Amino acid sequence: MATDEPSWYGEDSQVSQVRGRLFEAVCLTATSVGLVSVLVLLLYVARDAFRPFTGDPSWALTLPTFPVLGSITLVIPGWQLVFFVTLLLPITLLAVYYYRVDSPAGEVAYITTGLPIVGLLLAGSLFVIFAELFAVKAWFASVLSLAAAGAVIYGHRRLRSEAPLERLVLTVVVPIVFVLGVPPVSVARLVGLPKRVVSLQELILKLPYLPLPSLQLLSTLTLPVAAVAGWFVGQRRDSRTDGIRAAALVVAGGALGLLVEAVTGVAAPTWVIIYTVTAVPVAVYVEGIYRRNEGVSGLAFPVVLVGGTLFGVLTMRVLGFSGPASWLDWAYLTSAPNTTPELAGIYPALVGSVMILIVIIALTFPIGVGAALYLEEYAPSSGLAGKFVTLIEINIANLAGVPSVVYGLLGLGLFINRAHLPGGSVVVGGLTIGLLILPIIIISAQEAIDAVPDSLRQASYGMGATRWQTTRNVVLPEALPGIMTGTILGLGRAIGETAPLLLVGVAASVRLAPAGFFGKTGAMPRQIFAWAFEPKADFRYGVLAAGVVTLIAVLLVMNATAIIVRNKYQRDA
Amino acid sequence: MSTETAPDITTSPSGSIRERLYRYTLFACASASILVTLGIVFVLVTGAIEFFGMYDPVAFFTGTEWNIARQQLGVLPALTGTLLVTILSALVALPIGLAAAVYLSEYASERARSVLKPALEILAGIPTVVYGYFALVYVTPFLAALGLPVGTFNVLSASLMVGIMIIPMVSSLSEDAMSAVPDSLRQAGYGMGATKFEVSTGIVIPAAVSGIFSSFILALSRAIGETMIVAVAMGQSPQLLQFGQPLANLFESNQTMTAAMIQLVNAENASGVIYQSMFAIGLTLFVITFVMNLASNRIAAHYREEYE
Repeated sequence: MATDEPSWYGEDSQVSQVRGRLFEAVCLTATSVGLVSVLVLLLYVARDAFRPFTGDPSWALTLPTFPVLGSITLVIPGWQLVFFVTLLLPITLLAVYYYRVDSPAGEVAYITTGLPIVGLLLAGSLFVIFAELFAVKAWFASVLSLAAAGAVIYGHRRLRSEAPLERLVLTVVVPIVFVLGVPPVSVARLVGLPKRVVSLQELILKLPYLPLPSLQLLSTLTLPVAAVAGWFVGQRRDSRTDGIRAAALVVAGGALGLLVEAVTGVAAPTWVIIYTVTAVPVAVYVEGIYRRNEGVSGLAFPVVLVGGTLFGVLTMRVLGFSGPASWLDWAYLTSAPNTTPELAGIYPALVGSVMILIVIIALTFPIGVGAALYLEEYAPSSGLAGKFVTLIEINIANLAGVPSVVYGLLGLGLFINRAHLPGGSVVVGGLTIGLLILPIIIISAQEAIDAVPDSLRQASYGMGATRWQTTRNVVLPEALPGIMTGTILGLGRAIGETAPLLLVGVAASVRLAPAGFFGKTGAMPRQIFAWAFEPKADFRYGVLAAGVVTLIAVLLVMNATAIIVRNKYQRDA
Repeated sequence: MSTETAPDITTSPSGSIRERLYRYTLFACASASILVTLGIVFVLVTGAIEFFGMYDPVAFFTGTEWNIARQQLGVLPALTGTLLVTILSALVALPIGLAAAVYLSEYASERARSVLKPALEILAGIPTVVYGYFALVYVTPFLAALGLPVGTFNVLSASLMVGIMIIPMVSSLSEDAMSAVPDSLRQAGYGMGATKFEVSTGIVIPAAVSGIFSSFILALSRAIGETMIVAVAMGQSPQLLQFGQPLANLFESNQTMTAAMIQLVNAENASGVIYQSMFAIGLTLFVITFVMNLASNRIAAHYREEYE
């Protein structure tokens, strides 16, 4: 301010400037203090989970010590030096290059690195589902019968296009008859019915000869994905032939899996799953990058990342270096809890969390999006009905603030004590946490729907569309990316919820993955809670840290997915 | 939303049954949230009534001892334990959150805000059981290394973590309120020769005070309902506040209402009265947080009207 004018009214402005600067500094500190402390704590967890300062050979390096944190003698193991040269240095240089010179390439690098990770996580979930829940042939039969049901409904639409109500009934009934039978197996078992009409799915399973598992997956997993990819590429290139060509290419790649088995010994179904959910989306994305010719240099990042890792591993093999004695390794992810820290793993809890998540999605996504659509598109704003809608909105806002432990009581009182569902089962855990995140899903879906420009609705109404047609064909597709982003973030919240699981009796340590949705389950946060009270220090500092890192890694991947979806959406909009 | 734009078209005769069907289905989805609230109230109230049939309500609300083995089920120790954690975490979160909100709203550049605001939200997104683990395994030993006489389970480290967790509640909602303050008020302040500091503290904060207040209440309500941090890091020994040694309260173990519920459900011989007491505590907790949330939303709605 005007500091060098002596006779100015604000002569004390020098002082007030100091005060202002100080205030700004205090505010900035306040903004960062929480972030910094959590970052430091996360670094500690990572240190305990990975134990990066172990591994042979190593060189000791003593640093000036801090009085509070204890003395710090840095031990630098050989593997760190190797990976510093082969991996860390190149990717840091690349990152700096993207940041300073070529920022579109930075985004490409981010997505091409993130997409395979998300894909691998999805592939992992599919493996778990196929290994624990659903045999590949059951999946094959279900998809085939669903496709048959779809064909019937489509045929009806073609033959009797003027019978909407009939079609509505068919849409509900046919899939049930085809996939589940009349009545469904679980219902028949519950009521004690000995005889029932067998579904198409069961008929397929009874066939004396079924194709190889890899072919089953190829036809029921890769084929639909190929269709979607082909449609997508066709749309983007505005050419049907290109779309068909892309789809054919995808299927051919999957079929290559059979050759891969013969050559490398990697099981063909494994190849087909990983290929379909990881390679295909990446290929479609990369194709788009090349076509737009924007940020192509970003593609170097994942290549350097993978190449650097492989080269580092190879160098260590050649030099005879050993890696860190990390708690978090492949064995940890694939073995059951154990009283010996070195043998303990998180696999059953991981499977339990994935299955609970499936229940949550099945419950909250349709209801949440339906509620948001009603509140944004249909709700009257006046009269008695309007008052009721206001009540609903206030209620949703309040529900979002109800403590999670109270939802646990709701689950206990409603699902276990009154509905007599098995305590500690996947379905009870999923329903309880589903109710907990329902308000979050509704609110975020409302925001996404609210962001759809009104002009689009007006245009649709102007074309003579009804409200439902407008909602389905205009509002929903436009709002879907936003809804997806909000839902993924809500699911991220769901995966860490612990208190409701404790109240509905989810067991501390489960040695086997749940045997179906009504079976007893564990869950990652529940397992972490149990380990926190183990007397052995190796549990508290090692196994537990590895569990926390696993949980946070899953969360990070989910958030990254949400960001990718949102960025893509914002650019297209 | 678009209710005024095209209300009549939906009643057009073609496919009106289907239209109505979709409307009712969607309406049912929206009403489900009411059912959830009713379900919560129903479960808690019936459970609490059953409990108060077996245990004297006066003894429950005024009892100063919580001992499952001896069937002494006074809620006061857990209530004061909750109060203690709430106050301590408020001491951490309210000033920090408010200062962060001022920085985000008044000082930060557009770019800095677009990074910092979602980054702060991360603090609320970390699973609370992880915070509890931080408190137990890292913060408590750190406090001990600082020379504080803390026990393995203590109030202080748990409260610190609860405080960090609720910072984003305060900062995000307060920032919204401050951003809603019209620029004309700030310009008027600058026109009078006020500095940025004076505008921030003398104009923006007072103008946004109802929004700030609402965010405070919401954050406190979150702290009251927080379960896993206190269940992991604060132990299971409920005790009344010791007014003689105020600091001892911080360094010793204690128990909140939420943690008491976790203890009850994990107890080996939780039967009859003890099992049902969970619902009475749950109802108390629900009423407290519900009233606070309602108040917070009311106040927030008030400030929104003021400037829109």
